[in-house]
Amino acid sequence: MKNFLLINVLFVISILNTIAQSYNWSRLDPKHPHSINVQAGIDYGLTYGLGYGYILKTKWPAILNVQFSKPLGQNTFDDYKMLLGGQVRLLQWNGFRLNTKLMSIFRHHENEFAKLTNFGCDISGIVGYYRPRWYLSTEIGFDKAIVTHFRHSDLYKENVPSVLDGWYQPATGGNFYYGFQGGYSFKHQDIYIKAGKLIEQDFKTEPFLPIYMQLGLNFHF
Amino acid sequence: MYTKIISALFLMCTIFLMSCDREIYMTTPGNLVPKTVDDDLSIPAISINGTKLHAETYGDPRNPMVIVLHGGPGGDYRYLLRCKQFATQGYFVVFYDQRGSGLSRRHDKSIYTLDINIQDLQQVIRYYRKSNDQKVFLLGHSWGAMLATSYINAHPHEIAGVILAEPGGFVWNDIKDYVSRTHEVALNTELLNDATYLDQFITGKENEHEILDYKLALLSASDGSKESPLGNEGPLPFWRYGAVVNNALFDLGSHQNFDWISHLNTYQTKVCFVYSENNKAYGLDHALKVSGAYPQVQLFKVNGAGHDMLSFDTGWQNVYPVALNYLNSLK
Repeated sequence: MKNFLLINVLFVISILNTIAQSYNWSRLDPKHPHSINVQAGIDYGLTYGLGYGYILKTKWPAILNVQFSKPLGQNTFDDYKMLLGGQVRLLQWNGFRLNTKLMSIFRHHENEFAKLTNFGCDISGIVGYYRPRWYLSTEIGFDKAIVTHFRHSDLYKENVPSVLDGWYQPATGGNFYYGFQGGYSFKHQDIYIKAGKLIEQDFKTEPFLPIYMQLGLNFHF
Repeated sequence: MYTKIISALFLMCTIFLMSCDREIYMTTPGNLVPKTVDDDLSIPAISINGTKLHAETYGDPRNPMVIVLHGGPGGDYRYLLRCKQFATQGYFVVFYDQRGSGLSRRHDKSIYTLDINIQDLQQVIRYYRKSNDQKVFLLGHSWGAMLATSYINAHPHEIAGVILAEPGGFVWNDIKDYVSRTHEVALNTELLNDATYLDQFITGKENEHEILDYKLALLSASDGSKESPLGNEGPLPFWRYGAVVNNALFDLGSHQNFDWISHLNTYQTKVCFVYSENNKAYGLDHALKVSGAYPQVQLFKVNGAGHDMLSFDTGWQNVYPVALNYLNSLK
């Protein structure tokens, strides 16, 4: 019941606070500071999600973001991810822009053996060419799983009685990613695609799904 | 305003991190996965061929020997312990966790070759064998059946009989085909999430055994899923998986064009080859293709069971009498 309530709260938050994942920085309009984002793709599974973005009235263009996503699967909310953070434009030269993104991550995964709850962060740099109608950029970033809580099921404890539940540190994982983003803008909407490759922080091992991809739509208002 | 928000967030994170009442490390043996024979000296073990293996035996050591070879690579023998029933029928049953697997010693990835497991098995036989007259049988499941065959291919005159339970194949292409069929799951299944979503929570370097073994243990939960083509009745009991050896042998298999059938035609003893009804990735066609490498085969389909037919009630009740009759016929 507790889990059900928490999940509902997360879901409501995700609907009320939906974000855009990729923006056309040449079209950011402070008169329409809000944006809602819907997206689907590959993010350590086949995922879909909602997001919200708000353009800050600052010296350098910046956007606050919240996102909620979850993978497909029979168990509705056993796996999910929430991101909270922002993106800032650091440099601009003609149509070229350098942006950075910093997101805090809260994510959860469970199966028959364990429930994992993680706080992490995601930092990336984005360099691209932005026109009012379209944009194309490259992205490189790092997703760090900073601290993770492990709670094991009775089934796992039958196999491994000595297992310790609790918060594990130092960081339990990290993956680099690099790829491209491209989008087309019309009226108050952007449609975009981002895709790329993942590699673990040892620069050798590939995750089970070594790619990411996202198709998204932003509505500005 | 924004400075205050950022400061508040930073403060919350700091309080959260400081609130952890004790530090628990993934790399400490025993925290997430059990200790090995090197960390816990109370675990029964033998030292052979430059390694230390978790091992147990049942029955009179002078009886014909049945060596049980677990799957994986990188599994352990816990899920095969029903096989100790052969000890009550006049056999000396030997279980061991293969190099880098179960509770046996861990090694760096670079130490593994396709031959090292054959050498280890030969040393295990020598360790336990009381006389040259003592017959040696092998019982291998999945990867263990492949190891048994690779041993017979290398030493065709040493083994009195062999029971093979669903080996993936004896040449790489057969293994690759079979493994790819075991991975055929619908895209919207929980099984896929359980295999892929974990990668953002846990990553480990090449030889970080505790982390990688734990990760493989979590992934193994999906083997018992109803969505899995393997058709098992549930998750298998286990002690500890060996992720490094699993990774090393799959890498070697895919890069080396190995051949474990070149001398099987000289092995004239009938082999007992079992496959399961419920493993949708296996089936009669694959069983015939793989077992065809042996000159004489007794093929047996285990009804009502999946890939791990030796671990669950239905499968074991079907396999055991057939396996016992086979062993007795060669005893």
